Amino acid sequence: MNPGAMDAAAPDAAPSSIEETADVLRRRVARQFGRSLHIRTLDTGSCAACEQEIRLLAAPHYDLHRLGFFFTPAPRHADLLLVTGPMLRAFASAARKTYEAMPSPKLVVATGACALGGVYQPDEFSYGSVAGQLPVDVWIPGCPPSPLALLQGLMVAVDRMAERAWHLTFLSGGAQ
Amino acid sequence: MPQWFVRGLRRGLVTTRYPARPDPLAALLPGPPSFRPDALTRQVADDLVQICPSRAFVRAGDELIFDAGACTACGRCRERAPEAVTLSGEFELAATDRAALVKRIPLRDE
Amino acid sequence: MTAVSSDTPRAMPPVLAGADRTGDAVVVARVPAGQLDVVTGELVGFPGARLADLFASGTDPVTVRMVWALDHDQRYLITETEIDGRQYPALSDIAPAAFAEECEIYEQFGIRPAGGKPLNRVAVPPQSDIKLPRLGRAPAEPLHDVHAPHVVGGHAFEFPFGPVRQVGVESLYYGLVTSGEELVDLYLFTWHKHRGVELRAQHRTPEQALFHIERAEGLGAVGNSWAFAAASEAALGLEPRPAALVARAIALELERLYNHAAAVAAMCQACGLSVGRSAAEIALEHLLRLNAAVFGHRYLFGVIAIGGARVLPDLSALGAGLPVAYSELRRAGEALLTTNSFLDRLEATGIVRHEDSRRLGLVGPVARASGTSGDARVDHPVGPYPALAPVVATQSGGDALARMRVMIAEAAESVRMLDAMMTAAGGDQLGHDENGVGRRSGLGWAESSRGESLAWVELDQAGLITRARLRPAAVRNWRGFDDACRSQNVFTDIPIIEASFWLTVAGTAR
Repeated sequence: MNPGAMDAAAPDAAPSSIEETADVLRRRVARQFGRSLHIRTLDTGSCAACEQEIRLLAAPHYDLHRLGFFFTPAPRHADLLLVTGPMLRAFASAARKTYEAMPSPKLVVATGACALGGVYQPDEFSYGSVAGQLPVDVWIPGCPPSPLALLQGLMVAVDRMAERAWHLTFLSGGAQ
Repeated sequence: MPQWFVRGLRRGLVTTRYPARPDPLAALLPGPPSFRPDALTRQVADDLVQICPSRAFVRAGDELIFDAGACTACGRCRERAPEAVTLSGEFELAATDRAALVKRIPLRDE
Repeated sequence: MTAVSSDTPRAMPPVLAGADRTGDAVVVARVPAGQLDVVTGELVGFPGARLADLFASGTDPVTVRMVWALDHDQRYLITETEIDGRQYPALSDIAPAAFAEECEIYEQFGIRPAGGKPLNRVAVPPQSDIKLPRLGRAPAEPLHDVHAPHVVGGHAFEFPFGPVRQVGVESLYYGLVTSGEELVDLYLFTWHKHRGVELRAQHRTPEQALFHIERAEGLGAVGNSWAFAAASEAALGLEPRPAALVARAIALELERLYNHAAAVAAMCQACGLSVGRSAAEIALEHLLRLNAAVFGHRYLFGVIAIGGARVLPDLSALGAGLPVAYSELRRAGEALLTTNSFLDRLEATGIVRHEDSRRLGLVGPVARASGTSGDARVDHPVGPYPALAPVVATQSGGDALARMRVMIAEAAESVRMLDAMMTAAGGDQLGHDENGVGRRSGLGWAESSRGESLAWVELDQAGLITRARLRPAAVRNWRGFDDACRSQNVFTDIPIIEASFWLTVAGTAR
């Protein structure tokens, strides 16, 4: 399987609508982070496996620094919030405060099946997903997502790798 | 201290070249399933909806809606219907739009 | 499961006379509420007895169960007591190990120990707009925001830290009490991570519940799901075949190995030793890839099934990958044990005294580093463990260094047992036999990497869960963390102590 082409970002054509303007702006912001991105992590109720894979991004096998990514505990220094867990209601206000403490421009990446709406359904304990409580820019599936999947997700977030999700059909027997 | 440097130099680089080159780990990872539409009857589709503990399946008429975002790659769907469900081998699943992860799988004409 | 009885007959606690023997390994005794404190007193004083769990079920009446591990007798004793009304004897006055569970029982079932002592908040958040369902009847009085009384002497002041903390760690809320740099006291709140896993299991079959129980504590998936599966099997009258138990044991030892490697990496990180952290992480990555090669998942999810195992281990992959992975870990450990700047940070840091370890009922490497030799693989052996005869690693220092030494010794022992299991795996029968002795409730256990993980399951006539009690090792051991931090430590020691305990918040906030 191909590890995903590192497409050069398409040059910006002059936007002709509000939606296109927003998209161009989003890509410009994402590209601004392309060379140096500081990541803050946020656990909204995970089982701790996602955190272990995230920690391994800094380990020798994966070494996120070689790609210009860095972890930071300081919200003021952070560009991207990497969120795990199903957004427990008891935690939601802490999550929002963490997001608000980060200066704009900023990105939010939801990682793991719990954060994407799987595993836990919305109920009295949790919202079931990060959506609705934080504005998510990139979704990374997995249980837990491996460090490779996390790296691909971060590269997609800063527009340095092409997204493949739209093209995947999950059909076997010839179709793509 | 010197023992650490010697040890490290002797071992050499272990860092993956991903994304520039493939990483052998990818072949070991469980990933979301792939479906064979010609083996997906309504009954099988309903079984999959019922068996998935993460509610990644919904049947809508003649389509099975599969949410790869909710999928945990637990393999229960593959165990239930191995003729219809195989491994996709995909792990590069990141999406900027949540809807990109929700797929409509056509069921077999019956 | 037959227990191996000791050679010299010993006087059993009186409560055992007249108990139902649900097999030799688990004994159930009904105890009237009026006798509960007497029985607790007897058991506290009994050699080798340890309060392993305390939990409740039902409404009107509420049934309170204590699980006592009689480690020298290879038995668990469960006492069952019906409580009429809202009070029961204050067990934590006699057995301090019971305190956190008394707090939890109050929140979930509305009954409290006599004496009126303040109870901690456990799973219920203070936000008044969040109304959580309980396992039983919610308490009549609203919970107060108190924590257990602590001594604040001199000019000490208190401040909260968290729950959002440093990079890549779980959310956890500390209350720190300090006089400046020194830690006078520390208490934890975990209500922000409670997901209600026990509640979710209700009205499901054990097979259906297994998915969420495995994900209660992802880094303990094998240990916790083995305990739950074993409890369900006792309730259903199923006996996994030997090959299935070997598959479980291989997974359990692999889980122990990777967790110990991760703990070593975390200790190095806490001490600022980047080379040590990197070396341990290289070992950790090898071990996680080994898990994926042998069982198809880096964290060994999906190995355990109710009645056996779901996946056959790939023994050739295990044989090919284990030596390399372990040699990375062994060499990192050897180098660390000769790196004085690192050892200096661990020595005398976060001391858990032997008497505190016993008093609080701690388990796992934390307890074994404080001089207790309990290990469920030896004290309550199942599957291949009697034949494997694990050697239990103990230390007496009780500090972070002692805990690291125990983990390193355990890793070597796990590798020895994995080598033995590779050559005698016993076939590919992953299913079960039925022994016709389903009892509708059952106790299960496993020695996870963090210590003894327990589970108790009760089923109705349709085979659906009416009560699932999950007690990962973290539930026991977090209460030792406060004591360890209090022993003449400073702030910068906290991450080291936390790494040396290597618990998870998820394991207690389930």
